[in-house]
Amino acid sequence: MKRPAWSLISKERRAAVLAGTIVLQAICALFFIGDVVADFRHSQGSGGVHFSVETVAAVALLGGVVVLMVELRRLLTRMDEMDTGLRAASGQMAEVMNGFFQSWNLTGAERDVAIMILKGLDNETIAQVRNTAPGTVRAQTTSIYSKSGTQGRAQFVSLFMEELMSGDFGATDIAQGQSDPGTKSAAGDFPAR
Amino acid sequence: MSVSPTHTGGRVSARDIAVWDPLVRLIHWSLALAILLNGAIVDDESKLHEWIGYVALALVGLRFVWAVIGPRHARFAAFPPAPGRALRHLRAVLKGDRTVHLSHNPLGALMAYNLWLTVIALGVTGYMMTTLTFFGVEWVEDAHELLFNWLILSVALHVAGVAFDSWRSGVNLARSMVTGRKRIPLGTDVE
Repeated sequence: MKRPAWSLISKERRAAVLAGTIVLQAICALFFIGDVVADFRHSQGSGGVHFSVETVAAVALLGGVVVLMVELRRLLTRMDEMDTGLRAASGQMAEVMNGFFQSWNLTGAERDVAIMILKGLDNETIAQVRNTAPGTVRAQTTSIYSKSGTQGRAQFVSLFMEELMSGDFGATDIAQGQSDPGTKSAAGDFPAR
Repeated sequence: MSVSPTHTGGRVSARDIAVWDPLVRLIHWSLALAILLNGAIVDDESKLHEWIGYVALALVGLRFVWAVIGPRHARFAAFPPAPGRALRHLRAVLKGDRTVHLSHNPLGALMAYNLWLTVIALGVTGYMMTTLTFFGVEWVEDAHELLFNWLILSVALHVAGVAFDSWRSGVNLARSMVTGRKRIPLGTDVE
């Protein structure tokens, strides 16, 4: 139902590739170690140059596996942080929206239409989704714009953009009673990541 | 484009939480494949059987390293082997507890350790059979056989446990080992 943001998806792909590389390289290291052990058994302990080169190669491969694992760990941590940030931001967005809608006294139907406007749907699609006549949607949007004191779709959407970009949600009295310093700073930090 | 008219916020739906990272999943399914190949398809006497066994050993080794340096839910610390906790968990489950565990649940953790250790023991006895010292030694072969039977029994219990816990908690565990995410139903406690 809910998909992660595109930047997370590309990171997920990278993590999968890294994981595959780790397993493949570990198996390669295994073959080398098997070879080293077999050589060791045949030569009864007296190795020579070939033996030591192979040992070094096996150790280097193993080291590479560990380095890749640490790299994957870092990538996963970053993804986790991004996910938390996104959650906080979307939660904040929902609060801002609800705050605005309450202060404008939007009806239930108008709320739904307003959300669809914010999601970028045009009037025709909104009418289809809500199973109503295009005229109804037009009346509802007009009412939304007049209640919010805006002159149209672009200005209406920019109200929310402005609210999110100010980076200081506490300054507005619209999101009343929902102040949580923790999520606030997380949401504020988000663009920097 | 999916917009439901009643959807007014981001928090009405069930939560999707990423728990199994790609390396955990890859190791899990590779190990399952290795067990299937060696147990049912590949000839026991063949060189391939030996190599698949070594790969299985390497996979478990890799998983152990990952359980030390990996992310939170993959770590030993997230699912310590604790028979006491497993017993308490079992009792709570029988009383109808529906808590969801993000990592393995205490019983599942014991099964995971059991499976890994059995695979290691199988690999070690299998390797011993290829050495001059233990070639043809009867107790080693018997142990290998016995361990294999134990592994098959454990795998069956593991699958049954997954099915049962999916039904109990409402979280499709098999799916989470494919997608990496557990979908937690609304109003469920998470541990």
